[in-house]
Amino acid sequence: MEKKGLTRRQFLKYAGATAALLGLSESLVPQIAQALEELVSGKPPVLWIQGQNCTGCSVSFLNTNYPMVAEIVLDKLSVRYHPTVMAAAGDKAFGVLEEAAKGLAGKYVLVVEGPVPTAEGGEFCTFGLEKETASLNGHQRRKDKPMTAWMEELVPGAAAVVALGNCASFGGIPAANASVTGTKPVQEIVKEIDKDKPVINIGGCPSHPDWFVGTVLDYLINKRVPELDRYNRPKMFFGKLIHENCERRAAFDAGLFLEDWNDDNPDMKLCLFKLGCKGPVTYADCPTRRWNSGVNWCVGANAPCHGCAEPSFYKDLSPLYEPLPEVHFAGLTPMVDTLGWIGAAATAVGIGAHYLYKQLGKKEPEGGES
Amino acid sequence: MAQLISVDPVTRIEGHLRIDVEVEGGVVKDAWSSGTMFRGIEMLLKGKHPFDAQQVTERICGVCPLVHGTAASYNLDDALGVELPDNARLIRNLCLGANFIQSHILHFYHLAALDYVDVTAVAQYAGNDPALLALKDKVVALVKAGDVYPFLPRYESDDYVSDPELATILVSHYVQALEMRKKAQEMLSIFYGRMPSFVGTVPGGVTVHPSVSNIAAFRARLSELRAWIDSVYVQDIVTVAGVSAYAPFLTGGDSGGNHLAYGGFDQDSKGSEKFLPRGVIFGNNVAGVGEFDEEKLTESVKYSWYKDETDWLHPKEGKTDPDVHKEGSYTFLKAPRYDGKPMEVGPMARMLVLAGLELSGKRKEKKLMPLVESLGLGGAVDACVKAGKFGILPRHAMRALECKLLADEMDKWLDELKPGEKIWDKKDIPGESYGRGLVEGPRGALGHWIHIKGKVIDNYQCIVPTTWNAAPRDKNGNRGPIETALLGLPVPDAENPINVVRCVRSFDPCLACAIHVIHPEHNGVREFRVV
Repeated sequence: MEKKGLTRRQFLKYAGATAALLGLSESLVPQIAQALEELVSGKPPVLWIQGQNCTGCSVSFLNTNYPMVAEIVLDKLSVRYHPTVMAAAGDKAFGVLEEAAKGLAGKYVLVVEGPVPTAEGGEFCTFGLEKETASLNGHQRRKDKPMTAWMEELVPGAAAVVALGNCASFGGIPAANASVTGTKPVQEIVKEIDKDKPVINIGGCPSHPDWFVGTVLDYLINKRVPELDRYNRPKMFFGKLIHENCERRAAFDAGLFLEDWNDDNPDMKLCLFKLGCKGPVTYADCPTRRWNSGVNWCVGANAPCHGCAEPSFYKDLSPLYEPLPEVHFAGLTPMVDTLGWIGAAATAVGIGAHYLYKQLGKKEPEGGES
Repeated sequence: MAQLISVDPVTRIEGHLRIDVEVEGGVVKDAWSSGTMFRGIEMLLKGKHPFDAQQVTERICGVCPLVHGTAASYNLDDALGVELPDNARLIRNLCLGANFIQSHILHFYHLAALDYVDVTAVAQYAGNDPALLALKDKVVALVKAGDVYPFLPRYESDDYVSDPELATILVSHYVQALEMRKKAQEMLSIFYGRMPSFVGTVPGGVTVHPSVSNIAAFRARLSELRAWIDSVYVQDIVTVAGVSAYAPFLTGGDSGGNHLAYGGFDQDSKGSEKFLPRGVIFGNNVAGVGEFDEEKLTESVKYSWYKDETDWLHPKEGKTDPDVHKEGSYTFLKAPRYDGKPMEVGPMARMLVLAGLELSGKRKEKKLMPLVESLGLGGAVDACVKAGKFGILPRHAMRALECKLLADEMDKWLDELKPGEKIWDKKDIPGESYGRGLVEGPRGALGHWIHIKGKVIDNYQCIVPTTWNAAPRDKNGNRGPIETALLGLPVPDAENPINVVRCVRSFDPCLACAIHVIHPEHNGVREFRVV
């Protein structure tokens, strides 16, 4: 380990941080340290490509705190292709993808940020160049290579595919225009190419850096895809309802709701349900994990959760600043305040959420057990 | 004999950009800039609650969400008739400023620096600094393992900074900068909840009250960043700009001499005075900086994958009708023009406008020109003025100077926050209304326009910085700013067109922002009242 510039003590500390990130017991630190040590000799190659993305998940990845991004990119992984960070451009850049597809088959992890547009022969998203040329205003130019062609080239040799962020996982915002662009989530494209290829969906708009880093570390340590929920999301990050773990749950139960942002209640931070909070229908560990090195999270900033980790985000959760639909419970008058009372009365976890899902006419994700 | 060189993907930018250059005698004779990804964002907003706008438009881009969310908030404030409380104005300034800091640091170190610094030279470091030796060990280990991704492969060039001492220091700053930009994101998170995709600004104001503790948490990080910007970022720019091999880039890479800034960072509740001023410059006549007139905006689609009948309209009447098979077209970007001319936007446009106002005496308090002098950059500026050209190096340098000026000003805005006072002006959604939000983002002038009808969004339009800079030719055949900037640059080796990507990256392009347009089937309304 000393060769990598890490002392034993630093390394154990690092293994401890990894355990914390994955929500594992400290008693597992020695095993994690051993697994991480084995990794140092052979860094798994990562090809990170971008479809109809906004690069928000890459920027979020750069915000990773433990381990730091430089450690991940240089020590843990061999990041061969990432358009936002790699030195190479043009032929030298996409040449890395072509070489990997041939020379590293079965070894690399394919990370896809953004979904894949399939209409018009894939022309709505292209990168890299074909060998053939076409004439443009009197010039012979090499043709654009569509994202769809890259998926066909890279999926077969991938050990696993990670769909990063809500767009890649579920179509997200670009899929709202699917009638024009033929946009599909990554898992649909992968299924068409190889129906047995494992796809891990890491939702969130953006995805939390821990969700990605933690999934990758878990995969490297245990050498298997982590346990997934029905949306193929790692249960360890998407298994809990925000509403059940919210630091303002007491305000909800007490029926104390924020309705004017000028109100600053020093005694108890007010619940954001009436300002549209989607925490009651959103499965993610934001309340405990928080964002940006744990500095804050949406509800901590006095703002409602918009449900950005849910497959239904954004279209089916709009309007974002209006309360979730009214809830009927045992013939009582449908009122948010009543919901607060239900929450207080019901010791069963998640009863509010179950009812909300029924009212919304949606299936409840199975990740909800706790 | 002319040769066509295609670079796709242009990496270390945001998004999907292709650049084609025609090279003759080792020099760029012609250039084409192509945006190669299309989504369709604004269509989502039709029929939606107006409050959703800042959350949806933030998702145009994960590098610039802060700017879109801010523009959308001002847009909605305008449509709702909001009187923005001072606390809200200041928190918006502080968070936008924090985003400038993270974006500018990210751009120089993580997007641009690898065009100038030879990472492998670190392996030759012969000094005694323990931190630099640790870095050397790391690089040596990577080289020995034959796995220097993502730093290799790269375009090879004989003018990388390869002095082991200097290269090692610069690479160590690359690593430090990862943590610094992360701290700037944490600053944002304090008031805005998280980054990217923040939640802390809403129409009418902001959601977090300033308090002694959050002001202190913000200031602690700001102080650290200010010290780092002064002692590392600005100094590194001066050092790299002083490398003799890069002297041609002082004037090489000039975009044609036209610059546009909407201005940003309101200094009073009406926004009548802005920390970064508004103005237009033609032909690099800096001292002759003029007033901005919104009526002079038009967009051309002659060479864009949109139907020709939508050509040369004011953006507020803009139509977007994709046609990926249109003969002669080569990009999803439209070509915005001001007074019929292509305009550069971004830090250099803003700093030149500021310099023009300082030099002509229109801005009394001088900040930029004294800073330029104190850093010993006066001679370089004189050389640019004499040549009538501002190229690649000034573009990087002005980004760093802007970062410093802004970070210093942010400390004053923190002092002006008043805990306990209003943060939100609650207004009802009007039946029908129009709004406009013009702001500056790290990459340049950004405009959002809204039409509310029946209390929902009827039309929403954005004109975005990179659409200006990476624009194609217009109906008159005038090239876009990046296309023009590439002309005349040396490309001695067709296999390694390093100067092409150096030039393009100096603009800090963001393609996700630049192509975000709507499909007419989903958004029938075209008419926009001038607001």
